[in-house]
Amino acid sequence: MRKRRDFGPWLLFCACVLALVCGLRAPVSAGAPAPDASALPASNGLAPLPNRAAIPERLRPPGAAPDDGGPSPVVFPAQTIGIRFDHARHVALGATCTTCHDRARTSHSSSDSLLPAGTRCDGCHGTNHRGAVVTASPDALSACATCHLDYRAEDGQRVLRTSLPPPHLRFDHAVHAERKIACAACHGAVGSLELATVDQLPRMRGCFGCHTSDTPNTGKPSRACPTCHLTEQGTLLVTSFPEGKLEPPAWLHDAEHGPDWLERHKRVAGDDSGFCSSCHAERFCTNCHDGRVSPRQIHPNDFLSMHAIAARQDSPKCTSCHQQQSFCLSCHQRAGVTMSGPVGNLTHQGRFHPPPAIWTEGPRGPGHHAWEAERNLNACVSCHTERDCASCHATAKVGGYGSGSTSGRHTDPHPPGFVTRCGRALRQNARPCLVCHDPADPELASCR
Amino acid sequence: MLAGMRRTVPLAVTCVGISCVLGFGAGERRAVAYESEVDASVAAQFYTFESPYGEPLLRRRRYTNTLGIALYDLQGDHSANGPVLSFRSRVRLDADLGQDPAERDATSSRFVPGLEQAPFDLMYAYLEGERYFGGAFGFRLGRQYVADVLGWWSFDGAEVALRTPAYLKFEAYGGLEQRSGLPMLTTPRFQADGVARGSRDDLRADQWTSYLNQSRVAPALGVAVETSDLWWLHARLTFRRVTNRDSVVVSPFLPADGVLRTYDEDRISTERLGGSLRLSPVSFASLAGSVVYDFYANLVSEQSLALDAYASSRLTLGADYERSVPTFDADSIFNWFSHSAVTSMTGRADVRLSRRLDAAVNFGARAFETRGDPATYATTLDETVVKRELDPFVMLFGRYRYSAGSVSLRSQADYGARGHRLGTDVTQRHEYARGYYDSLVVLSLYDFKDELRPDRYATSFSYVLGFGLKPGGLGDRARLGVEWEHAMNRLVGQRYRVLATLDLSVFR
Repeated sequence: MRKRRDFGPWLLFCACVLALVCGLRAPVSAGAPAPDASALPASNGLAPLPNRAAIPERLRPPGAAPDDGGPSPVVFPAQTIGIRFDHARHVALGATCTTCHDRARTSHSSSDSLLPAGTRCDGCHGTNHRGAVVTASPDALSACATCHLDYRAEDGQRVLRTSLPPPHLRFDHAVHAERKIACAACHGAVGSLELATVDQLPRMRGCFGCHTSDTPNTGKPSRACPTCHLTEQGTLLVTSFPEGKLEPPAWLHDAEHGPDWLERHKRVAGDDSGFCSSCHAERFCTNCHDGRVSPRQIHPNDFLSMHAIAARQDSPKCTSCHQQQSFCLSCHQRAGVTMSGPVGNLTHQGRFHPPPAIWTEGPRGPGHHAWEAERNLNACVSCHTERDCASCHATAKVGGYGSGSTSGRHTDPHPPGFVTRCGRALRQNARPCLVCHDPADPELASCR
Repeated sequence: MLAGMRRTVPLAVTCVGISCVLGFGAGERRAVAYESEVDASVAAQFYTFESPYGEPLLRRRRYTNTLGIALYDLQGDHSANGPVLSFRSRVRLDADLGQDPAERDATSSRFVPGLEQAPFDLMYAYLEGERYFGGAFGFRLGRQYVADVLGWWSFDGAEVALRTPAYLKFEAYGGLEQRSGLPMLTTPRFQADGVARGSRDDLRADQWTSYLNQSRVAPALGVAVETSDLWWLHARLTFRRVTNRDSVVVSPFLPADGVLRTYDEDRISTERLGGSLRLSPVSFASLAGSVVYDFYANLVSEQSLALDAYASSRLTLGADYERSVPTFDADSIFNWFSHSAVTSMTGRADVRLSRRLDAAVNFGARAFETRGDPATYATTLDETVVKRELDPFVMLFGRYRYSAGSVSLRSQADYGARGHRLGTDVTQRHEYARGYYDSLVVLSLYDFKDELRPDRYATSFSYVLGFGLKPGGLGDRARLGVEWEHAMNRLVGQRYRVLATLDLSVFR
């Protein structure tokens, strides 16, 4: 007979999802509105290259991937650039990086502003930024609108502010300058570009070019994360910023924290837990692995009702957090679903197993459970104590029905080839052997 | 009176925890070189579930409280790469006030061995020194975790680490495995599986003979060597051995003379060797693998291999292989039951559509390998026939993160001979008023069927509504939250769960 399916919950679920999507507000982080490209005059210094052409890879900072979209906004918060500036033109006129950014030679902190003050422009542009009121000569080069974006005469002294928030990093420009590390080694070919944007800021992969080597010209740069990253609580990296969470890139320890990271994190943590502990304290791990509040991302919906199916399908995942002979067994005993539990589900003849038609009747025999045990022993261990198993498998001399190929009961549970490897185990720990075998059992003697 | 005491103890612990945090935060700041942190978390959960037979009905009135105390930079002035001395500790009270007292009464028919109403454990407490002698030396002293390819484990003792200029780091540790039953504020979480252990002080010798006595400590030692400071390569080889020393019952059946036989020699509990490797010498791919050998079971218990290719900075493709054979404490008879490996093969793709939106798909199959065909299985295993059953699975993940929250989707479909699970969760987290308030909405729909128990099938819908607030002035250091969970399906009818949490943290 065809089973009648109940579509009520599905409809309810779809309605709720629809309501959630409709009601979802997704405000974009506040910030200055991006200038409309079409409204900007076609002039130099508004973009890295004329006509907003894509920057060739050779001009980008070392380590920048072709489609990386710039450095992490969590490390380098969004910038507001209120001026137009053509680096290439200035370089062509003889300027070098330090002509304007001279403070880079002496800066020891990433929070230092290395932008030149307006007075730096005065010498060539004929302006005077020294006083409270900025003055300019009448020629076009001196006009406020030459550099300041969207400037109108009626704005007077008001111009768009340039805001370059300090990166969430430690960085000592002076140390790098002392070691003769060129600006382009971190920033790419800014001198070949017009406007330098956030895309010219360093990439971690580029930093690794020196910070993982001992080459003579770079001294011996530290490889430790706190060399560059901010720390708290001793040596833990700060990972939470107003701009978002700091997360590792895919190429670093293969640890990209993508949406399926929960499923694959064990591979990284099992190999190099020290890498994880760069950012995570113990309690981050214990919240899930040794917590006492069931994590919903792992145990969804009414997991109590469907956990048995999950345990049969993927028991290694269960045992990564749960001890079968304590956590699982204790609860199963309390719920009365175990063979030897306190309530022993007497009304069901002590069985939680499938009905005989599935479990033991033809063509399957009473021993069908052995096949199931071989298939997934963890499922057995989560409910049964050794006494349950020994009742049948132990030899008659110690109280069981009789085990072993010679005892006639065909209840020998040992795997094939067991005899060839039991001797060492017997020497290391004979206890499990003695649960079923009398010390004088000839089969035990064969292992000795 | 007892009931009153049961309620008083957790409340007292909570008060102490919260008082510690608040008192610590309220005190006057003194000029000290070290930094310190005290944090407390309280979780109260209320839910009820019944046995599949209808009785018994278990009322969970759970109350969990953790209190952490940490001191950082005990060495004095902090430098980015200089020596660091710190102390970290955390204790936990995990009470269930809904337990029936009969479940803890050894004379009752409802007695469950090892069940405690309000276990109190020391999760970890250790002094750690790092980066001494130019970064070459480090140590840990106290109760601590070890996490590597051999699993996540805890012991009381000491660990020393020596980092050499040759990109190698050597570790050695020794102490006592954390085990239940000992009066050392322990949990059974980290002992090897396969045997139930604990204190038998309240039990007669012939009661619950499979519940083994744990009254003596279990010595443990381990060594490891791993690469260090190579970002493109990490490899670790690790060995660990734990010894059982307790006198335990062997045959669980009372012999004719009425005296249970015991075994009290020092013997292996676990002895395993594991190796792991991650290799990513090129910018477009990474290779990882691991293997664990169990000396007692004399077999390779775990092995894995994974290859990831970074097709672009937005797309990662991967393939995983895992094989796992269950192994147990050497005291356990389950070691000697015939059992096979579970092998998983997974393909995956991770795509980052934008900085806010990403998605992933995992798909593959788990293979259960056994001897004998279950369709014709009668009374003996036919060792000449090897059969593999494949359980296919697919998982889909999606995540959209915006400045004030996130929306995530998780779908899975697991099919196989033992049943199926098919379902989707949609979760939205949102913050209001710059994080002062936050909300949680989870919608979940699952369809499942247990093929071994034809009556256990259902289509289940559940939702979670949560609300939290962070009191002013404390920022992320304090949060009060409440969650309401409601599941409905034909098996349970309506199931409710209430979760209330309070997190406090002070860092100075």
